[in-house]
Amino acid sequence: MFSSLIDTGMKKVFAILSILFLLQSCNRDDIVQPVSYNNPQLSLNIPTGFPALNNSVNANKPTKYGVELGEKFFQEKRFSADNTISCASCHHKSNAFADNNALAIGIYGRVGLRNTPPIQNMAFMQFYNWDGKILQLEKQPLVPIITHEEMNSSILEVIGKINDDKEYKELSRKAFGDENISPERIYKSIAQFGYTLISANSKYDKVQRNEGEVFTESEARGYQTFQHKCGNCHSTALFTDQSFRNVGFPLNPNTDEAGRARVTGVPADYMSFRVPSLRNIEYTAPYGSFGQFPTLRSVLDYFDHGVLDADNLDPVLKENGNRIPLTEQEKEDLIAFMKTLSDSSFVGK
Amino acid sequence: MKNLKKYLLLLVVLSALISCSKDDKDPVANNITLHFNNTFKSNTIVLGDAASTTATTNTSAEGQVHHFSELKYVVSNIRLIKADGTEIPYNINDLDKGATVVNQAKTETLDYTLSNIPSGEYKQIKFGLGVKQELNMLDQTKFPTFYANAGANETEMMWEWGAGYRFTKLEGFYDSDNKEMSIHTGSTIEGEEGAYTQGVDAYRDITLNLTGNVVVGRNAPKITIKADFDKLLSGKTNTIKLTTGTGMNDNATPNIHTAVQMTKFVDNLGGDGSSDITGMFSIDGVEN
Repeated sequence: MFSSLIDTGMKKVFAILSILFLLQSCNRDDIVQPVSYNNPQLSLNIPTGFPALNNSVNANKPTKYGVELGEKFFQEKRFSADNTISCASCHHKSNAFADNNALAIGIYGRVGLRNTPPIQNMAFMQFYNWDGKILQLEKQPLVPIITHEEMNSSILEVIGKINDDKEYKELSRKAFGDENISPERIYKSIAQFGYTLISANSKYDKVQRNEGEVFTESEARGYQTFQHKCGNCHSTALFTDQSFRNVGFPLNPNTDEAGRARVTGVPADYMSFRVPSLRNIEYTAPYGSFGQFPTLRSVLDYFDHGVLDADNLDPVLKENGNRIPLTEQEKEDLIAFMKTLSDSSFVGK
Repeated sequence: MKNLKKYLLLLVVLSALISCSKDDKDPVANNITLHFNNTFKSNTIVLGDAASTTATTNTSAEGQVHHFSELKYVVSNIRLIKADGTEIPYNINDLDKGATVVNQAKTETLDYTLSNIPSGEYKQIKFGLGVKQELNMLDQTKFPTFYANAGANETEMMWEWGAGYRFTKLEGFYDSDNKEMSIHTGSTIEGEEGAYTQGVDAYRDITLNLTGNVVVGRNAPKITIKADFDKLLSGKTNTIKLTTGTGMNDNATPNIHTAVQMTKFVDNLGGDGSSDITGMFSIDGVEN
């Protein structure tokens, strides 16, 4: 009788304890993923034949509201000290998120070191920037924010300006669970937006996918020449092997420039730059690391006439007398082919 | 009741007296001041612009006359070694409390006070020239004070494109025609220690034996650390001749901001990390 009393008492205690425990577990779940059910992960439409994803994508998978927040940040001029420059000021959608200036122009008209690179197919890149300094897209947004020639601000200055903004609070809550705008969330959401910028719907792609489009004769000849004379470096479905090469282009007179060697300290990397993707190349003139070529034609002429010599000039060029010989016909055809890499849906044209 | 109050008062006074007399004994901790004496050989450097007649000049082993208009470097990761070998780290993971920018143009930055150092005898000091990799991010949230200090216009110790801090920034002039020289160092490494994926590590760990033990206790000692910038061009590791131009080997301006030539300067200033662990630094004196 007595023991059964204890029993009942114990049972009650156990029951209460388990309920408490359950309640706690519920609470915990609430804290971890309060809005996950209405912030769906976006499925990246990975085009056939594209290279593997950068590992960082898996740690920061784009979500509906993460991307929306990132896109809004991308347009945010309050990122700059005087509220005039946003990411989009240099990265125009109509130019495949590059622009038409030789050198990037930032706050107070200050001129940067290099040509604005396009933003496309970022999820598949292993290196960012002309010199490959950045390896994870999440580490990129801070750089222009603090750079003297770009936005000339700081992350806390930015947050101080925008953290009372109702739309940001709302999006932050939807994307990350609460209204707090942290540096981390800014970096992550902008990167998520970047990951969604996939361009793989050009005429070239449609030809490859047998969707009914066919190359013109000139484009077809250009493709042949391309594979023979350019495809060594501009390889893979991204039209870059993502290597760093010195191709003997005219040198940037800015003494801050050393190309890839600025990062690695390896003399063999001096004035080497990441092979640029040729996708949407029609939209991203001028060309070269500091916009030294106004047109595609001028790039081809330069290769044909001969490039600057250097100890570390790319072997492919060295073996061919420091040039890529091209006939007039080949140049025309190559340009015709390169224009098949234009993705009008990507640039909104 | 009145008596009780008196007793209480007496007790309070007594205890106050006792605490006072305790202060007269050795305290458990005290300050150490590090004084940085930036020199060319034994002459303390005076900065000056190109036409300056008062700036301290120096002649390198290669015979190049030079002087500085700007001289800054970051000291962090300070550790004091007791006579018995115990290592006392000084806020080594907190740039706000344990790192400083030494700026020859600002006298107050030439003295850096380490507070609350445990009493005892010390035989050695270690510190970093620059910022160790795990802290070398421009993280304004984590270390707002150091970030603000390093980022201030007159300091400019941020390497925006490298997303880290500048470790040294030297501006000046060389040769009789006063050509510009501009030498910046900083790390470009990515990844975790032991598994760097790319880049150059410009952080250098310095170890200096103190000349006579430093005794922390009743006194707050002062350690004078000499940084002899003669070593920049005429160092233990490299003898450097400055050249101006845009070629890979031109090192005076400012493709020296790049990693190709930078390492030679870093090794001279901060040692090569193996055979030379003092670089340009030495102990100039200790005041107990």
